[in-house]
Amino acid sequence: MKTLNKNIIKKLLKAVISTRPDELSCSECCDEIESFIEMELAGKTPAKAMPLVQDHLNRCKDCREEYEALLTALQELKADRL
Amino acid sequence: MIRWFKNKAEKKATPPYSNEEWVKLLSEPANGEAVKHLRSILIRGLKPALAKYIDRELDQFVEDVAQDGLLKILDNVQTFRGESKFTTWAMKIAVREGLTVLRRKRWENISINDLKGPNPDSDSGEIFSDIFASDEPDPELTAAQKMVMEKVKKAIDNILTEKQRKVINAVMVHGLPVSIVAEQMGTNRNNLYKLIYDARKKLSNEFEVQGIDPKEMLNELSDT
Repeated sequence: MKTLNKNIIKKLLKAVISTRPDELSCSECCDEIESFIEMELAGKTPAKAMPLVQDHLNRCKDCREEYEALLTALQELKADRL
Repeated sequence: MIRWFKNKAEKKATPPYSNEEWVKLLSEPANGEAVKHLRSILIRGLKPALAKYIDRELDQFVEDVAQDGLLKILDNVQTFRGESKFTTWAMKIAVREGLTVLRRKRWENISINDLKGPNPDSDSGEIFSDIFASDEPDPELTAAQKMVMEKVKKAIDNILTEKQRKVINAVMVHGLPVSIVAEQMGTNRNNLYKLIYDARKKLSNEFEVQGIDPKEMLNELSDT
């Protein structure tokens, strides 16, 4: 019998352990992300103010990529106050 | 007289526009100058945002994404809720557009049915176990660690549906984007996320029923 891949099992266990009943869906996260990012750009701590958004970003690679790309884009524009 | 005031007010709208001005200027018939201005904003933001994903022809790609994003923004301008700056909302649409194109391109030749993992024609969970397997035995594993992994494997095989195993295989094992897996399965990101959520919940419940603490299992697997 093959040996199970430990790292994948660990990843899965972490995901199971962190499961919570109030997780946001991708679209709910997407609806909140502008506010989350604007707080971040204002030097506030959105992870504390909007923990469910942060939780979803920690779990969902697609949403996290979109958040990071949007943050980069807005940082570029920030100086111009567009 | 009213028209004179209206025209005067419209002429006053110069960048940077307020949210209200953006919505007004981009509503049909869209104001050409405002469209041009938004396009230049999108391009300026998209370049650094997408640069790490593209190794050549970034400028052309960004131009195309900005154009497609712009069309989506114009189509949806009335749905802007005003809870953020208009440019934040618009940039979000453009960024999602760009990343969607990039994901499709990156994974265009990969089918979730071809990934090493469960045989879609089989209802045997045993086949799925190979996803979590390496070809070589790991001599570093202790007997306790092997036992933990066997418990997890059994739970996966016995509790999850074929579809859940397939999705976990694609997303968690092979790292495919949720959006790509959703497209291939003819569903959307929300439904797919829910499917993964339900799988996690089922495993959590199963461990609870069996009196197994997943935190203890995780600790057992940690290299400390």
